[in-house]
Amino acid sequence: MRIDKEIKWHVLLCCALVLSLTPIVFALSSSFKELSEAYSNVFGLPQHPTLSNYVQVFSRLPLVQITTNTFLIAVAVTIFKTVTSTLAAYSFVYFDFRGKNVLYFILISTIFIPFTVTMIPNYLTISQLGFRNNIIGVILPQLSDATGIFLIRQAMRTVPRSLIEAARLDQTGHLRILGNIVFPLVKPAVVSSGIMFFINSWNEYVWPVLILKDKANFTLPLALQLFISSEGGTDFTIAMAVSVITMIIPLVLYIIFQRYIITTFTSSGIKG
Amino acid sequence: MAYGFILPSLLVFAVFMFYPLFYTIYLSFFDWNMIKPVKAFIGIQNYIALFQDPLTYTVMKNTLAYIAILLLLNWVAPYILAFILSFVIKRGRGFYKSMFFLPSVISLVVGSILYLWILNPVSGPVAIIAKFFGITIPIWSKTQGLVIVVLSIITTWKVFGYNFIVLFGGIGGVPQEVIEAARLDKVPLHRIFLDIVVPMSSATGIYVFVMTIVQGLQYVFTPIKVITQGGPDNASSNAIYNVYQEAFTLYHTGYASAFAIVTMALFVTLLIFEFKYVEKGIHYEN
Repeated sequence: MRIDKEIKWHVLLCCALVLSLTPIVFALSSSFKELSEAYSNVFGLPQHPTLSNYVQVFSRLPLVQITTNTFLIAVAVTIFKTVTSTLAAYSFVYFDFRGKNVLYFILISTIFIPFTVTMIPNYLTISQLGFRNNIIGVILPQLSDATGIFLIRQAMRTVPRSLIEAARLDQTGHLRILGNIVFPLVKPAVVSSGIMFFINSWNEYVWPVLILKDKANFTLPLALQLFISSEGGTDFTIAMAVSVITMIIPLVLYIIFQRYIITTFTSSGIKG
Repeated sequence: MAYGFILPSLLVFAVFMFYPLFYTIYLSFFDWNMIKPVKAFIGIQNYIALFQDPLTYTVMKNTLAYIAILLLLNWVAPYILAFILSFVIKRGRGFYKSMFFLPSVISLVVGSILYLWILNPVSGPVAIIAKFFGITIPIWSKTQGLVIVVLSIITTWKVFGYNFIVLFGGIGGVPQEVIEAARLDKVPLHRIFLDIVVPMSSATGIYVFVMTIVQGLQYVFTPIKVITQGGPDNASSNAIYNVYQEAFTLYHTGYASAFAIVTMALFVTLLIFEFKYVEKGIHYEN
């Protein structure tokens, strides 16, 4: 009786999952079809698998350069955000200083500021610095992250203060405490924040599209946009190949680190 | 020492968040196109023009439509899913959690291009299935109203999993015994959800509610930009896209700034609402 009821729910949930995951399977499968087969054999797996879409992408676009750009931006953003967020989170948890709570409140509130409010001045700043059409211009405004500070702070609050106080009595410096005592205990939160920084930067579209103008400086999402036309277009199997190239790295990272990521975001819900 | 640890973050926020915020307010009182060497001070003319422009009302009406659909798909739906996974089914929780989260790591540009093809009215898979049943798919990207629904669905594909995981965490704080007792008393599932689970996880619930609106409207920018550019006839433009359009296509820098500030004022109202209830909830839970 009980089991029967549960099966009904499982059927429903699996239908929802199929709906949400089918687009990914379709993209993968179509990227290995010739254009004519993509139209004649929409649902099936490729009958005559071909790499021609991937080959064509590389001949049409400086894809190695574009992937490198995407990667460099994501790595720089991830390193900076992780370091600055961890340091800030540490000081919000273990230091007492004037205006701490107000400052924390202000920093976290920035999560609610839409990008349209900052984009015009930031565009002007980056232009004045001469970093327009340059990946440094994409990286610069993203060197710290309010969500990161929030998530890492939540994890640090679970580390007993007595541990830190004992270390302070032994004259241990804060950087050493952070590195040797606190970091090992909050590693899951720091790692999953880092992974999310990387994935979000990899996927980012709005800011790079304002800053980067030449194809050679593009990131993958910008390159993908070149293949979008509202009719679907004749380049559609090639667009699928670019889609696959764009999503493969985030998917692999997610599959490797999913346990960390799910745990961290679930716990962010518990604390609001 | 404490300031030393915060300084790097503070510097970044000061230069790329707080300064721009005030500079945008400043710009909203000027007539400027980003290129002219002189900005002309025009007082609150941009704000007056904004409230007199019929386009503002179209855009705000669309924004409300987006908010309603996004709340349904990215707040109500994942809330119910999180409830089912937490209390109704016993097996496969870990599997469902990781699978439902999976699309949220994929670029929305990828999402846009995939759905553009899947929902292609002539040759896409959905059109082929519909044709089998004798139904024709409308050209949704050119249909008023429908275009907002489809763009919201594309955005949902990315946002749903994240909201679901956060809500799952929030619901995890509701004691299992309370639910078990209610189920033994044969309380219907929807009553358990509405009368027990929602009130007991309201802090997370309101947080996701606000994030669905504030970030959802920003996420939906990507499919708007790559698929419709706000069309047909501004039918899919929202408050976020309209600012982008005014600023970087029409170069109405001052007017765009004023529009951005008005949008933010709407968000701040929500923020006050959020902190009034959520922060209270957090103190309670601690």
